[in-house]
Amino acid sequence: MRNPLNKRLPREFAKHASKYIGIFTILVCTILIGSSFLATMDSVTYTIQQNDEECRIEDGQFESLSPIPGSLKTYFEEEEIELIENFYTTVNDYDETAKIFVFDERETLNLPSVFEGKLPEKNNEIAIDRLFAQNRKINLGDTLTLNSQDFVVTATISLPDYSSLFKNNQDLLMNTADFGVSVVTKEGFSRFAEDTLTYRYSYRFEDTSLSDSEQRQLTEDMQKQLLLEGVTLQSFLTSENNQSISFLREDMGKDGPVMKVFIYILIVIIAFVFSVLTSNTIESEATIIGTLRASGYLKREILAHYLSPTVIVAVASSIVGNALGYTVMLKPFEDIYYTSYCIPPIKLQFSLEAFITTTIIPVVIMVVVNWFMLYTKLSLSPLKFLRKDLHKRKQKRAVKLPDFSFISRFRLRVILQNKVSYLILFFGIFLASFLLMFGMGLEPLINHYVEEIDDTLPYEYQYILKAPVEEENGEKMELYTLDTWYQLGKTNISVSFMGISENSTFYQELELPENEDEIIVTKPLAQKLNLKLGDTLTFTDDYYEKDYTLTVSDIYDDKSSLGAFMKLENLNHLLEQDADLFNCYISNEKLDIDELYLAKYITRADMVGAANQMMKSFNMVIQFVNIFSIVIYMVLMYILTKTVIEKNTVSISFMKVFGYSSREISHLYLNATTITVLLSLFLCIPVEVLCFKYIMVFVSSLMEGYIEFYLPFWVYAAIIGIGVVAYFLINSIHIYKVKKIPMSKALKDRD
Amino acid sequence: MKLKMNNIHKFYGEGENRVEVLSGINCEVNDGEICVLLGPSGSGKSTLLNIIGGIDSADEGYIDIGEDCTSNMTEKQLTLYRRNHLGFVFQFYNLIPNLTVKENIEVCSYLSKNPLEINELLQTLGLYEHKDKLPSQLSGGQQQRCAIGRALVKNPSILLCDEPTGALDYHTSKEILALIELVNKKYQNTIIIVTHNDAIKNMANRVLKLRDGQIVKNYVNETTISAKDLEW
Repeated sequence: MRNPLNKRLPREFAKHASKYIGIFTILVCTILIGSSFLATMDSVTYTIQQNDEECRIEDGQFESLSPIPGSLKTYFEEEEIELIENFYTTVNDYDETAKIFVFDERETLNLPSVFEGKLPEKNNEIAIDRLFAQNRKINLGDTLTLNSQDFVVTATISLPDYSSLFKNNQDLLMNTADFGVSVVTKEGFSRFAEDTLTYRYSYRFEDTSLSDSEQRQLTEDMQKQLLLEGVTLQSFLTSENNQSISFLREDMGKDGPVMKVFIYILIVIIAFVFSVLTSNTIESEATIIGTLRASGYLKREILAHYLSPTVIVAVASSIVGNALGYTVMLKPFEDIYYTSYCIPPIKLQFSLEAFITTTIIPVVIMVVVNWFMLYTKLSLSPLKFLRKDLHKRKQKRAVKLPDFSFISRFRLRVILQNKVSYLILFFGIFLASFLLMFGMGLEPLINHYVEEIDDTLPYEYQYILKAPVEEENGEKMELYTLDTWYQLGKTNISVSFMGISENSTFYQELELPENEDEIIVTKPLAQKLNLKLGDTLTFTDDYYEKDYTLTVSDIYDDKSSLGAFMKLENLNHLLEQDADLFNCYISNEKLDIDELYLAKYITRADMVGAANQMMKSFNMVIQFVNIFSIVIYMVLMYILTKTVIEKNTVSISFMKVFGYSSREISHLYLNATTITVLLSLFLCIPVEVLCFKYIMVFVSSLMEGYIEFYLPFWVYAAIIGIGVVAYFLINSIHIYKVKKIPMSKALKDRD
Repeated sequence: MKLKMNNIHKFYGEGENRVEVLSGINCEVNDGEICVLLGPSGSGKSTLLNIIGGIDSADEGYIDIGEDCTSNMTEKQLTLYRRNHLGFVFQFYNLIPNLTVKENIEVCSYLSKNPLEINELLQTLGLYEHKDKLPSQLSGGQQQRCAIGRALVKNPSILLCDEPTGALDYHTSKEILALIELVNKKYQNTIIIVTHNDAIKNMANRVLKLRDGQIVKNYVNETTISAKDLEW
């Protein structure tokens, strides 16, 4: 015979459908977000790893001012380093804002993966990266004019060395709308003028079993050899240092733990909500439990019965959450990667880790939390249940309240009676409003960041030169990158050293230090490294293996970079260069500099555009977070405030018998909840701000640059507003319910 | 099954507030007897019933039921003792609201190795027509019949009834007492009824009167009155 108590379960679910549906909804949302996110992340990781092998991704690259001498080829052969010419031309005439790198045909390293179409075969055919093509609405068969040459698009591709579209390795943000990469045939590449080419070489160690230290040693030797052979290096990047390759790899690993923590926090809150519901059921069914126990039901049989809804809801949510996570929700998460990164088609992988994280652990958390609560509650004797005396210890005396009015004391008693529900409600409100703060705050935060850059960047154009060239309309500057240790991120960060000319028109307010060992740092650098005036920093030049110890003499409000200012002659002296050497022009107008001398060209619009692109890729996530937060708000508030009314149904009925109106009763019982909700909303804000600030410090530790915490007033107002509206919507349901409680309840429920 | 109470003592409270609610109860109830425990409020009758039922423990003394003794029983052993020997009927029925009449009875049938046939029991209880109704659709008397059925279905050797008519009107109370009388005859269980209704003593084979935690009268009725003829 099946346990007849099981027949209660469907009726229990039907009777309390709203509560169970609410919890089921949050659990399903949590699990589907977790499973689709983690499965996509694992699938992307797997796809990239596989693609890196199949497409033979480089181990590093360097750019030289001119082709390297043939004699070096012997060196590379002897060292068993595969070296290829990975030359490209920079297209500036596609349109005003976009830049495209067109690469020569790739045969052995960094091979393209085709999304659509086929790789170019003729000299007028081109394959362009999928993301840029998508953002620029370029279709197969379109003709592009690139550096005055016409090319027909035959394929959309991804290149393993450009999974993240960083135009320059120093860029803070990717720019997928205004920067793209492409590949043509050898014959096609020869159509570009020699003077537009950048001589990039890519290398790969033939021995794949080399340890990190062996690779590092070989790389250092390689750099020395190149310098010995008189190669003028423009850049030298290992794949770890190359943001276009490493950014995605690092990004993949870093999101996972955050998502897992988020899932666990939510699950623990849901588990506690469930335990409050079950606890209330135990209290309301105390006499039934007492009777069952008196009739001979074992504690574990009762426990199993009351644990069943938890197990059923948790398992059902896991199944539905995973089913949706691996089907409906997969595409939106894949799109997040597709809209941010130029990666090959994602091969879906079943992730055991994701399954354990999103399914096994949540079910275990739910069951353990509820089992523990039930075990504790059910350890009371049957007699205590029959007497509805469910206190483990002897009842303490009533908490003495101040001499408030009767109404205030009554409300305080309601709050004290439901303190566990209210505590969980507080954490639920905290989590939901924090998510809302994150969702609503991200856009103004990024906009503020962009505006700050825009406001504090003193010039419109920056031209980084391959070689000094005179241009009377620009202001000379020496730009040099040195590394310094970033303790929080446990890594070196690059600092842009700017040697400023005497009588600079762009930095008039800057009182540059006379001493050669003093620097003025930008505010983002000071914030990121927590610098104060007088602090001493050690900078290293890996290239020349030199260390510099410098003192912070001032902090300058320039938000555009992690930078340090010195007098031009002081910086050159520090670097042991000619006193008047420079490699950069800054200007408010476009300068007429020969492309031959130009290494990089950055405009104010580049920075703003890149930040906007970042917002675009976050947009869908933000919408999702906002909706999810509001769902959590509504469900938690509904369930937990409903329990307060359910607990007091008989008392409310009695109040009606005594002559209280429904409105007065609502004020007594519901206003206690209103006070708790409003207090929670307001008290949570400063704690959330603190958490957000720490998150921003953490986020900044993962990226080049520093994003300062900023939230406009309207975000705070909106969070409280949404919380209040959500609550009052639910409150109106409860007011209706209070009206519906009959007076006969008090007379019928005599036990 | 013979029931024997051996020097039962029970105290409530601590220190100055310590009160002895049962002070050395010694008594035997024979197999198949209807025994009524009478006494005013606070006399200890419900406490004694709870100790017999193994849902409360004696501070001193023990209960023998047949071969079983409650002293030194673990919680699990006590549960199995209740499962195997006892049926409970309470003043306020304590039915499971979202189970039908039949399902409420099945709840205890499930526990027994040798349960009574449910449909036959429902006929005996006069609830067969109501077997698919929820408790909320029944009158108080019908709910108590259902509670009696739930206690009886395990075919327990002892049926413990704590104020079974306490929440019922005169006529319904008599119906319930008649039902108890009927099941006693039909199933031969020992029945212990706690009540403060003095009239009920007349249907009992044995009467135990308690006052201040002590048995002040313990006698056997030579002649009993049928429940339907009781007056109060």
